[in-house]
Amino acid sequence: MYGLDLLSWILWMPFIGMIVVLLMPKANERAIKTWALVNTIMSFLLTIVLYMKFDTTLSGMQNAFNVKIPWISQFHINYALGVDGISLPMILLTGLLFMLSILSSWTQIKKSIKGYFALLLLLQFTVFGVFMALDFFLFYVFWEVMLLPMFFLIGVWGGENREYAAVKFFLYTFFGSILMLVGIVALYFATGQSENSFSILALSGGHFTHNTLSLFGYTLSFSRLFFIFMFIGFAIKVPVFPFHTWLPHAHVQAPTAISVILAGVLLKMGTYGFLRIAFPIFPDSAKYFSEAIAWLGLINVVYGALCAMAQTDVKKLIAYSSVSHMGFVMLGLASMTIQGVNGAVLQMFNHGTSTAMMFFLIGIIYERSHHRWIVRPDGTPGFGGLYTKLPVYSIIFIIGMFASMGLPGMSGFISEALIFIGIYEKFTTITVLALFGLLIGAAYLLWMFKRMFFGEVNPSIKDYTDMTKLEIFYMVPLCVAVIVFGIFPSPILNIMKASVGQLVSLLATF
Amino acid sequence: MHLTYLANISRFIPELILVVLMIGLILIETTYNEDQKDKKYIFISVAIGLALTLIALITNFSGKAEAIFSNAIVIDPFSTMMKIMMVIGTFFSIYLSRISKDIYETLKTEYAVMAIGILIGGMLLASANNMLILYIGIETLSILSYVMASFKKNDERSSEAGLKYSLYGGLSAGIMLFGMSHIFGVMGTIQFSGMGQAIQNLNSQQTLILMPSFILFFVGIGYKIATVPFHMWAPDVYEGSPTPVTTLFAIVPKLAGISALIRITIIFFSAKSMIRIEWIGMIMAIAALTMTVGNVTAIGQKSVKRMLAYSSISHAGIMIAGLVMVNEIGIRSVVFYGITYVFMTLVAFYVTSIVEDKYGNDHFDRFKGLAYRYPLMAITMSIVMFSLTGLPPFAGFVAKFNIMTSLISSKNFSLAIILGLNSVVSAYYYLKIVKLMTLKQSDTNEEIQSFGFLNQMIIIGLTVPVIFLGVFWENIFSLANGAKIFIQ
Repeated sequence: MYGLDLLSWILWMPFIGMIVVLLMPKANERAIKTWALVNTIMSFLLTIVLYMKFDTTLSGMQNAFNVKIPWISQFHINYALGVDGISLPMILLTGLLFMLSILSSWTQIKKSIKGYFALLLLLQFTVFGVFMALDFFLFYVFWEVMLLPMFFLIGVWGGENREYAAVKFFLYTFFGSILMLVGIVALYFATGQSENSFSILALSGGHFTHNTLSLFGYTLSFSRLFFIFMFIGFAIKVPVFPFHTWLPHAHVQAPTAISVILAGVLLKMGTYGFLRIAFPIFPDSAKYFSEAIAWLGLINVVYGALCAMAQTDVKKLIAYSSVSHMGFVMLGLASMTIQGVNGAVLQMFNHGTSTAMMFFLIGIIYERSHHRWIVRPDGTPGFGGLYTKLPVYSIIFIIGMFASMGLPGMSGFISEALIFIGIYEKFTTITVLALFGLLIGAAYLLWMFKRMFFGEVNPSIKDYTDMTKLEIFYMVPLCVAVIVFGIFPSPILNIMKASVGQLVSLLATF
Repeated sequence: MHLTYLANISRFIPELILVVLMIGLILIETTYNEDQKDKKYIFISVAIGLALTLIALITNFSGKAEAIFSNAIVIDPFSTMMKIMMVIGTFFSIYLSRISKDIYETLKTEYAVMAIGILIGGMLLASANNMLILYIGIETLSILSYVMASFKKNDERSSEAGLKYSLYGGLSAGIMLFGMSHIFGVMGTIQFSGMGQAIQNLNSQQTLILMPSFILFFVGIGYKIATVPFHMWAPDVYEGSPTPVTTLFAIVPKLAGISALIRITIIFFSAKSMIRIEWIGMIMAIAALTMTVGNVTAIGQKSVKRMLAYSSISHAGIMIAGLVMVNEIGIRSVVFYGITYVFMTLVAFYVTSIVEDKYGNDHFDRFKGLAYRYPLMAITMSIVMFSLTGLPPFAGFVAKFNIMTSLISSKNFSLAIILGLNSVVSAYYYLKIVKLMTLKQSDTNEEIQSFGFLNQMIIIGLTVPVIFLGVFWENIFSLANGAKIFIQ
């Protein structure tokens, strides 16, 4: 029966949650928070059910879950949802991180509780939509609607410079998506406005290799041009150098939970876009530009790491480390080998958990210190000797940091190793250079750790209390995830294997 | 002959109702004493009259398309559709004039009378089937507009607006008339359909003579729609005129001008001809220029009304872009755009007008912290701003999407990309209002009386179509698709 399928439930659950939040009285903050938590727990449980029911042997979209209802039949636009091995890890991650974000916002958000939780649930709705949509128009709608809650979440609940960050974030992403829109419409006409003009699956497979078009008087390859358009659209989200400048601002200004979601889920929408849309629809161009993508990935890795090293604001440092880690994902994608792409998707998941940990931890210390300086602008240290005062916090921080660094035994290691195995044969120089990025990564994280946690006890930290039960409670799932998937990654690897294999074999034919 | 005229009158009922209403309003006005303030019968009769017009128009919509009064006026689904939107726009602008302090108490009836006069002009323009009616429509529209622009007698800017408008208007009408007479001289007919046929058989020399005349002809219409480079008057007039008048200007003349332009384009340039290529080239250039200039100049504005004026210029540019492909795909996207534009403009001007009334000016800062005082109003205004930007799931997005679709269907990628980039530019200044309303705290905590329950409900009611058309646009789109042009 229509509307009673699992994917629709997952998708619309946060939307229902948002409506209920809006109907609740403003003053009853506790009820709003509780309801938001219950709602996200339900979403998460539903994603677990999805994981249980998922058939790991199948590649491509699983028919058991697919939904397709006509929306605008004149244009053959459908409400089409589906899930495969690439989107499932992302859906799981979304379910998990939003649930934890609600917990972390519990005490940290103080103004306009109602609006905050309503927007957070709206954001979850759109993120689920992006990861599930199989109709290009639907995908675009979710991709864009996501801007609205993000704009307000950064703009209203953010730090001092929040307005600038919010507007910059909005304009950058909007610019990218407009280029994508032109591509979507062009594809619609390139397929002759047929049944499948907006179906992402039907467009895939490289049907546009030989089409051409003329723009401003030049004749260009259809596939190359629109690959570049879509690439820019997604690259801004990743963010790929040189489109990354919005990211540090947005991260620094956003409240903790939003930083977590931004780094943990929203950045993955960009790379997910490559995997789901840009690569399958224009495989020939993806192949053609693969070296360029790899170089961009390398720049991300090294440049992000170097920038991170120079930061004195710990949140900015982690923001740049995201740029660096997303560079590894780009490298894995550019390799277009089984190991590389598997590694990339795994890295998307693992980076989601480890960076989320780091941002949560920074939020926790910020609640106590109200600043985030490793070194204050006047040269004095901002923290120091945290290890002696906050032992539990420090241990969890160490776990998060090593996961982020990619220490063997932690989740980051597996995915980065896979990426390097995948790319080595293809771009040896880039691999070697990227390894230096890994080294710098270790350097800036350890250096940061040394300055914050060791050394002389800074007098200002004397009154800090260690993590509360609630804080420990929401950090535990992530700690478990980074350790378990570091030793035993197969639960995630198994679900993506078949779908990644299909994509790679498609790319191999061009 | 006379009998056919009488038979034709049944299709002309909407306009006749309006004429009767206009005269009726003047008569009702005389029954009031000078000091009587709330002239509610005036508004009730306006409401009834416009409702009747709407019903008559809807009946016309389903009737067969035909040209009446010796082919002078054409009644087809397309013109009826545009007229319906104009009537809706006029009705809400008259309601706005009642709650606005910008219109003097003594002039409220005059406002209604003239607004209906402008509506009649606009309807004539939408139905015009020959040059003469076109000209009469434009003049009816314009002469009343000049008066309305200077409605605020004690305000210098309003007088300036009226003077500027009439000077520009008179000049462009003259230029247009000159172009028309030239065209008549070459073709020997003022009937659109006859001209359309003649155009196909022109030789290159005649084309050479005619193209300048067509450009002159375009000046008149371009001026009414405020396309670049004939847009200079618009910001001053929009800013100087009382806000309800601006609302009316942003809707009725614009839609009327666009519908006249659509009709001309379709009738003249559907078939292949030498002049068609040049005309399309001109329309393309004007569309691109209008969008870009409107948007770029809107960025620096300090007054919200002025910003909306520039933004309405750029929206006109987008609508004109839909005319580049002279076919039905283009027309339906423009008609759909027109429908969404009316609602978005109304909400934007309603909120602006009420805020302006409270503070006496419409500086951006007046919107500061509106979300904390009137959350519903801030939400509706934000929705409309996002919709004007072209963000899903709002109507503005679908409208832009359709225009883009029609552009790309004719492989016009460059204009599609320009359109897209313009949306990004426009996001900047629309966001400015959203930012001020939601992200800033307000300086004062004053109540704004005009945001009473009824007015809030009306504004929300006008926002509903903006959301609805963004999600479930299929039916309205089919309606726009059915708005065919009848040529005879």
